[in-house]
Amino acid sequence: MKSWSNKHKQATAAAPANQPAEGGAPYLSDNFARNLDSMQSELGGSPDLKVRRIQIGGERRIEAAAIHLSGLADTVAVNEFVIGSLLGNTEDLFPDDTDDMVTARASDQAAQETSHGDGAASGTAAPAEASINATAESAANSAAKSAPMFTAEPGTGRSPLPQLILNRALEIGDAVLQEEWKDIMLAVLSGDTVILLEGYRTAIICETRGGEQRSVSEPSSQLVVRGPKDGFVESVATNISLIRRRIKSPKLRLEYMKIGTETQTHVALMYMKGIAGEDLIREVRERLRKITLDEVLESGFIEELIQDKTFTPFPTIYNSERPDVAAGNLLEGRVVIIVDGTPFVLILPAVFTQFFQSAEDYSQRFDIAIMMRVIRYVSFLVLILGPSVYLALTTYHYEMIPTTLLINLLSQRENVPFPAFVEVLLMETAFEILREAGVRMPRVIGQTVSVVGALILGTAVVEAGIITPIMVIVVALTGIASFAIPAYNMAIAGRLIRFAFLIMASMFGFYGITLGLIVLVAHMNSLRTFGIPYLSPFVPLSVKGQKDTILRLPLWLMGPRKSPQQMRAELPEYMQLTTGYDEQLSPLILKNNTAARQQAEGEQHETDE
Amino acid sequence: MNNMKLMNKISVFPALLLALLPLLLLTGCWDNVELNRRAIVSGVAIDRGPTEAEKYRLSFQVIVAEEISGENARGISPVAMYTGTGRTMFEALADASRQTARFLSLGHVRVLVVSEELAREGIKDILDVLERESDTRLTSLIFIAKGQPAHELMSTMTVFSKIPVNDLVEKLETTSKQFGYNFRMEVDDVIRGVQLTGGGPIINGVFTSGSREGADTNDNLKSISPKNILRISGLAAFKDDKMKGWLDGDAALGTVLLHNKIKEFPVVIKDKEGGYLSFNVYQSQVTLKAAVTDPEHPVIIVKIRQQAAIKESANSLDLTSPEVLEGLSEQLTGETIKQIKAAIASAREFKSDYLGFGQVLQRTHPRGWKQVKDHWEDIFAACEVQFDADAVIRHTDMRSNSFQINK
Repeated sequence: MKSWSNKHKQATAAAPANQPAEGGAPYLSDNFARNLDSMQSELGGSPDLKVRRIQIGGERRIEAAAIHLSGLADTVAVNEFVIGSLLGNTEDLFPDDTDDMVTARASDQAAQETSHGDGAASGTAAPAEASINATAESAANSAAKSAPMFTAEPGTGRSPLPQLILNRALEIGDAVLQEEWKDIMLAVLSGDTVILLEGYRTAIICETRGGEQRSVSEPSSQLVVRGPKDGFVESVATNISLIRRRIKSPKLRLEYMKIGTETQTHVALMYMKGIAGEDLIREVRERLRKITLDEVLESGFIEELIQDKTFTPFPTIYNSERPDVAAGNLLEGRVVIIVDGTPFVLILPAVFTQFFQSAEDYSQRFDIAIMMRVIRYVSFLVLILGPSVYLALTTYHYEMIPTTLLINLLSQRENVPFPAFVEVLLMETAFEILREAGVRMPRVIGQTVSVVGALILGTAVVEAGIITPIMVIVVALTGIASFAIPAYNMAIAGRLIRFAFLIMASMFGFYGITLGLIVLVAHMNSLRTFGIPYLSPFVPLSVKGQKDTILRLPLWLMGPRKSPQQMRAELPEYMQLTTGYDEQLSPLILKNNTAARQQAEGEQHETDE
Repeated sequence: MNNMKLMNKISVFPALLLALLPLLLLTGCWDNVELNRRAIVSGVAIDRGPTEAEKYRLSFQVIVAEEISGENARGISPVAMYTGTGRTMFEALADASRQTARFLSLGHVRVLVVSEELAREGIKDILDVLERESDTRLTSLIFIAKGQPAHELMSTMTVFSKIPVNDLVEKLETTSKQFGYNFRMEVDDVIRGVQLTGGGPIINGVFTSGSREGADTNDNLKSISPKNILRISGLAAFKDDKMKGWLDGDAALGTVLLHNKIKEFPVVIKDKEGGYLSFNVYQSQVTLKAAVTDPEHPVIIVKIRQQAAIKESANSLDLTSPEVLEGLSEQLTGETIKQIKAAIASAREFKSDYLGFGQVLQRTHPRGWKQVKDHWEDIFAACEVQFDADAVIRHTDMRSNSFQINK
């Protein structure tokens, strides 16, 4: 593979002459060698770019190259179906005379001239637009747009060579013609194989994505005792298949997007046509379209940019690692967003109660499911109020503690040096440190953390007389309560809120806690998740909506499923909220949009002047 | 422009937060008291001091928590008593506070004992303080120390609880449930009793029996039979806020029956042949009604409904015969009527309508009550009382007839 480096130098040396700058060229050149060189140089001569040069045809040979990135592409597919079919019987594709080739070149030339004209006029705007919407899979669309270039020659009635290869030689399922440079590069970087042909300005893109992937395994979060054990993986295609396998309905719709100017991450939008509200889908699509980020490495990036409100501890978009949860939510009219590279899919809209539901609620008996749900709500209350209620009771409202218990508490506190507030804060912070350490630790050392934590926090601190034993109980209880909440992001929200309540309780006792609760509920009431009030179906109260919130009635009692759209339509008129949140939302999204930022700066300059 | 607005919003928010923070920090925590800065008072004894300057003598029984449940107990007394004097209750409290290292906290006062001397003088000052002070609770139990200084009741070591006051509370709960005529009398009930026109509250009596020597040390408990025991007995009858006298025996039982406060009590009657029979009356419902044709001469109708079980009958009575049981139940109601009559007699003697006859009249004939309200005392002393009593012997417990009947 040393040979190409020389060529690369030659190419760069030759480049300024008559070739458009690398990367800047919107279309393939008709010079085969130059195409190869610019591809290699654009990737900085990366050694994992594999270029297999072959000659196809019988008597009249044509230079061809199959290009792919090793590791990203499925080697077997590349070898057997792409290179194999090219090296196989391709002789009969070639006409006896060379006229055909000449005419093909001529027509390509003409096409290039027109397109150059276009390129000059609209600059980079049009391809950039296309890159967001178009994906390799939907490249068929763009291929169709430029189809006239590839279809039959008017004179001879024969197709050009790339079309012939595509139609008659390639043994690969998904292959398209492409001549836009940007899309070809994207295809290579996505793991596809690109076939370049000498003398043709059209490349063939063969879908050969593969390489190493994690296999479908049990999810590491959101475990269930009873229920399906498969979990999403990092590949979008696999994840979609996991959902499709569960919903064999033509109503299940899928849309692809590419988000991230550098990462070009595949984002799939799934919904049930007819069940999910049309304006919800439109809103989601719109919000996704507005995102302009360099990188999308996890669904959290997307979540942060499309959620209704940033300044809130509460999550307004649900995430799950479980295909059955995603499928269930799709059927309830929610939209699922799958992001390539992460097993966590986004489910929206998500109201408060959804974070207290578990997949298992539906596989267990309904009465048991109700009990489990009630326990989760109780544990959320314990989580946010536990330490603060203890603090308020002991420092402000001692008369509310039963006398016998009070005597115990008194004797425990006798030799403790710190005020109760400092004590709680110390203990809660220690617990958070311990938990954070436990999460980040390599699994092997993880046990050490729990042993040290249990010993130090549980026993030694009490024996040393720094903390009262009852405090250890309170902190341990809140700690356990935080684990009882099925959604991790709701649990960490609770952990954060707990500290706010702690401060309120230390300053004003129960009065402060009550104030805090009022503010908390008011804040939660102000939240919307894609137009739906966050506290629904409690606020606004819907009696019918109670069937599957804290309660989980037997399935036959739940009645026909209603989409959020329908449920919203049933609300009184003044409560009907639309998803038209663009005005409030767009500034937050546009903040990350460099173009918008520049525009805003421009405006600022104008106002300054 | 939207962006501009947002930018302004963001910069205003922290400034606002910063401005509001002192509000929190400067006003917060002003009444915050750590638990180990508190001295929890379990009981208060109120005595009449010798002079007007020392009219109220308050003794506070303070819990020494560490001695009760701590690991580092020093083997000292589980409670400590501090005494303060003053012209008013509050002054006495302030006086006592000066002697303690920690804040005297009255939120857990379970018992108040008022000396008989002070009770006869009047308790309205005490009740006002108890109601006004936010720390004390109206559910504390109230007692009258029978013929001895109230502070002695607070300084007697008890067997069943390290805190003497708890012993007293438990004793009251036991007697009110089983075979006793004392019942829970809270500060709140007393305040309502004082407001009764022409009447007053009744309050449980408490005294110590046995030698007082060493009663306030562990010595009291060292022998199997404690030298000094707290005992609940008798009811102090009040007219308005002043104590008039003690009710005991039948009069006390009849009073409690009229108040419907009794749960279970034993009745012993004498059989015609001379043997004794014991009953356990486990349900007793007494309702008062007033038949008013002339408000000056109301007739109070006492309706008694009782259910009883035979607990003891070592006689040759045929308990399976309805006639015999009928006869016994008549004797039973006779006994109850006797007790209630004794109660009414005592009330008339004290010239205090703590039985609530006036209330009954007020309810059935409000207009008539307004006419006689001012001279109710006279009417109460003379009004006619009729009885409508019925008792049912529900069962004879584990046996029907006594084994003696088969001889």
